[in-house]
Amino acid sequence: MFIHYVKILLRNLYKKKIYSFVNMTGLAIGIASFILIMLFVVDELGYDRHHSRADRIYRLCMVYDFGGVGENSASQPFPVAFTLKDEYPDMVQNIVRIFNFQSTRNFIEYGDLKFIEKRFFFADSTFFEIFDHEFIAGNAKTALDEPNSVVITESIAGKYFRDEDPLGKIIDFESGLHLKVTGIIKDVPEQSHFIFDFIGSMGSVKNMFRGRLPDTWVWNPCWTYLLLSEGASVEQLELQLPEFTEKFFFDAQKESITLYTQPLTDIHLRSKLDYEIQPNSNITYIGILIIIAVFILIIASINFMNLATATSGTRAREIGIRKVTGAYRSQLIGQFLGESLFLTLISMILAFILVEIVMPVFNGFTGKDLEINSLFTLPNFFLVLILWLVVGIFSGLYPAFFLSAFKPISVLRGMIGSEVRRGTGRKILVVFQFTVTIALLVGTLVIFSQLKYVGNTDLGFNKDNIVLLPVNRTAMADLEVYTSFKNELLQNPDILSVTAMDDIIGAAHNTHEFRPEGVPEDEWHFFPALVIRHDFVKTFEIEIVSGRDYSEDFKTDAANSVLINEAMVKHLGWRSNLDALGRKFRSLAGDERVIGVFKDFHATSLHEASGPFVLNIKERPIEIRYFIRYVAIKIGHGDPGKTLAFIRQKWNDFEDVRPFDYSFLDDELSGLYEDEKNLGMLSLVFTLIIMFIAALGLFGLASFMAEKRTKEISIRKVMGASIIHIFMLLSGEFVKLILIATFIAWPLSYFLIDEFFLNQFYQRVPLNVWIFIMSGLFALIIALIITSYRAITASHTNPAESLKYE
Amino acid sequence: MIKTVELTKIFRTDEVETTALNKVSFKIKQGEFVAIMGPSGCGKSTLLNILGLLDNPSEGRYYFLDTEVSSHSERQRAKLRKENIGFVFQNFNLIDELTVFENVELPLIYLRTPASERKRRVNEVLEQMQILHRKKHFPLQLSGGQQQRVAVARAVIAKPKLILADEPTGNLDSVHGEEVMAMLEALNQQGTTLVIVTHSQRDAEYSQRIVRLYDGQIITENIKESVK
Repeated sequence: MFIHYVKILLRNLYKKKIYSFVNMTGLAIGIASFILIMLFVVDELGYDRHHSRADRIYRLCMVYDFGGVGENSASQPFPVAFTLKDEYPDMVQNIVRIFNFQSTRNFIEYGDLKFIEKRFFFADSTFFEIFDHEFIAGNAKTALDEPNSVVITESIAGKYFRDEDPLGKIIDFESGLHLKVTGIIKDVPEQSHFIFDFIGSMGSVKNMFRGRLPDTWVWNPCWTYLLLSEGASVEQLELQLPEFTEKFFFDAQKESITLYTQPLTDIHLRSKLDYEIQPNSNITYIGILIIIAVFILIIASINFMNLATATSGTRAREIGIRKVTGAYRSQLIGQFLGESLFLTLISMILAFILVEIVMPVFNGFTGKDLEINSLFTLPNFFLVLILWLVVGIFSGLYPAFFLSAFKPISVLRGMIGSEVRRGTGRKILVVFQFTVTIALLVGTLVIFSQLKYVGNTDLGFNKDNIVLLPVNRTAMADLEVYTSFKNELLQNPDILSVTAMDDIIGAAHNTHEFRPEGVPEDEWHFFPALVIRHDFVKTFEIEIVSGRDYSEDFKTDAANSVLINEAMVKHLGWRSNLDALGRKFRSLAGDERVIGVFKDFHATSLHEASGPFVLNIKERPIEIRYFIRYVAIKIGHGDPGKTLAFIRQKWNDFEDVRPFDYSFLDDELSGLYEDEKNLGMLSLVFTLIIMFIAALGLFGLASFMAEKRTKEISIRKVMGASIIHIFMLLSGEFVKLILIATFIAWPLSYFLIDEFFLNQFYQRVPLNVWIFIMSGLFALIIALIITSYRAITASHTNPAESLKYE
Repeated sequence: MIKTVELTKIFRTDEVETTALNKVSFKIKQGEFVAIMGPSGCGKSTLLNILGLLDNPSEGRYYFLDTEVSSHSERQRAKLRKENIGFVFQNFNLIDELTVFENVELPLIYLRTPASERKRRVNEVLEQMQILHRKKHFPLQLSGGQQQRVAVARAVIAKPKLILADEPTGNLDSVHGEEVMAMLEALNQQGTTLVIVTHSQRDAEYSQRIVRLYDGQIITENIKESVK
């Protein structure tokens, strides 16, 4: 019986080559896309799960909230970690702090080798007791025990030491700290929210701070991870945190601080806090991708159903005869489901080949290292098997029940059920396919227009032609060197302005303590602020709306003055910008006053609202050393290569150790939307694939319809119908379906894109009606091209022949 | 073998109600050869379909092998069909994608006959129908007469007690038509009960009894002289 079924299946496939091709190609592409997306999704969902205690590791985070202004921080003050462990020894089995001097550019030397390293961290010796990292050399238990020791990864070992044995060798950190290599570990897996190349011991940090780690409960630069005791519940620990805050944080802060924990495995997809170690992904975007994957599969399956039922006429006789000769309906259902499973199997094999072929490209633009082999390991193989059964049965179920329901007497007399002729079910499926296609197209276009919007939005400052130099712990940290460097640079007519700041404007900032007029004497409020040097307002073309900018003419400015934005004026309830001028705005440096109010600018990515903000020049040498981390240079429209060469030359004049390193501000800012760019690219590619599959299905269907109506077309031609008439006749129906799909897709996509994508942004692109119109039109044009090809070939048939044949 | 009591079949569409059979009562004995005649639309094929258990009557009773079957489920009817009834159609109704051999083999597959047994019997029947040399051909490669011989071979392969033929010569020229009728007559002589629906007086002459239908009712039943 089985061989018999295979035989008839293969002969049918061969006979209906176009449909077989459409069926299998569409399904293969659909399955391949599904597999690729799911490999990506599974990879994203698997972050940080390689740590054997991942389910018990939590990160301690904190919210500072001063009437809606403040921060939601991923990191903690130094003393928090071990105080917490001492306070709750039953619940907290272990704890570790990770610290990087708040700098992602560290200068490392070994012999003649000098590199700027971005992933250099320091951690407590408990680090390897909490996180699993495989040691190639050295001892995990003791590697971070001693001050001035460092554990490096395999790649770093190769980069610095080549054939030498790195153990015991000394590398220089920032030309001051000599660190002995005490361990080599395998490279940190890509699936980590925290990837490092170096981990120095916390004892080394202690040495840098002259023997004592900072004991302030205000400054919060330490990422703090705790290992929950076995059997302890994190909810219970959370219940203790208010009491802990009350007991240890100082009085003025207590009211405004909330500590909370975050499961390690949630960080990559669900955490978007201030001061993340590295940018995370977004679970919503993963959800969008899963939805796209499922829709691709459904749409490819729909092709299968549509073609199977549309071509059912040609198999009706077979069904009738089988029934007459005694086939039970269940046997026919079995036969058709079997066919569908068989075709799905072939498509899956094709899909695997496709995946293997496009994997390098896919990895290239997602930045992942996915492998198809992972599908054939045991748990995944079952999933693949389930995928086969689900797709095979889902695609085959409707045709199986539909075909097996044919009444033998009707089909044998050539009367196929009215359903086949009307094809209501098929029309619904086509509408569904195109609804999804158009909605996805709208979604993709919105993603891209939001990205464009983000790039073009007036941020309230000018980000163009700004060169950034990281200057942390370089010679520039000295005010005199900095001033000379600046003056030298300004000699070049193509350098328009030079300033400095503690964080990259538009990307990041810290919060600082202030006590504006009206706040009680014992309270500090933490406000987002940038610490800057002179000419900041000029360099970034920030608009002063009231008062004045800092000026070097007023020697007291640096110590006594701050600039605040309009949102701050509102936040503090001051009557007007003018009213704000001259008001007290105390900082840790002493009594300061507001000398100017500037127009609000976007201090962080457009995901978030811009709120109250302070610009403040610091004056004390230690502050300058710490807070001047970036020099920003506004260059003119001359040859940027020449200007950069000039800057490099000047840099080398003032800084003899640190190599020259620079970036452009607009590049840094566009990096804030990496996640959305990825999503946009993925959704573009897969939307095009969905369109292709849907178009393929339409092509098959249109071919079939044209074939089916050969006689009708011939009679019409005999009666005098023109080619245009025939074209309208055949394409008209599909046009109607696409229009219906368009009208369903519009409100649907409007709602979904708002709910799932634009809501991620505070600054959102206004939805342009053209996006909707274009999407519908595009689908319509594609449908017209496909159906018209068939319509035109059909309208050229010679009526004499087809009528004679009939 | 067959007994119908006031068999009625009504076809309903949204607006029209058509009575295809109107209280038809008659009997067919084991081994009989009956021809059903009448003008187009008189209900011949409807009657044949009900007799062949392809359709249920709207009213009345139908006894097949002494069992009342008019309210049998599709599955029960399929079982009775495959074990007892063979069909021959005007347009042959062969499956184009199957070879002659495979077409004839089909009923045996659904009867779960072992493969070796199937092969032996199909060859035997094809031999009997003088079409063995064409067994690897597809239906579209055969002439009409040859196709109908294949169809007859398929109808008899499972050794049914009853063969129903709907205009078996309707698509054939007279020479081929006579060939097929002779074949059917031979089967009847071997003991198979035969019911044919036909327009052709010549075909009907082969039968022992002619039932004439008009507007869904039996108007005459002539038993031929030779049988009396």
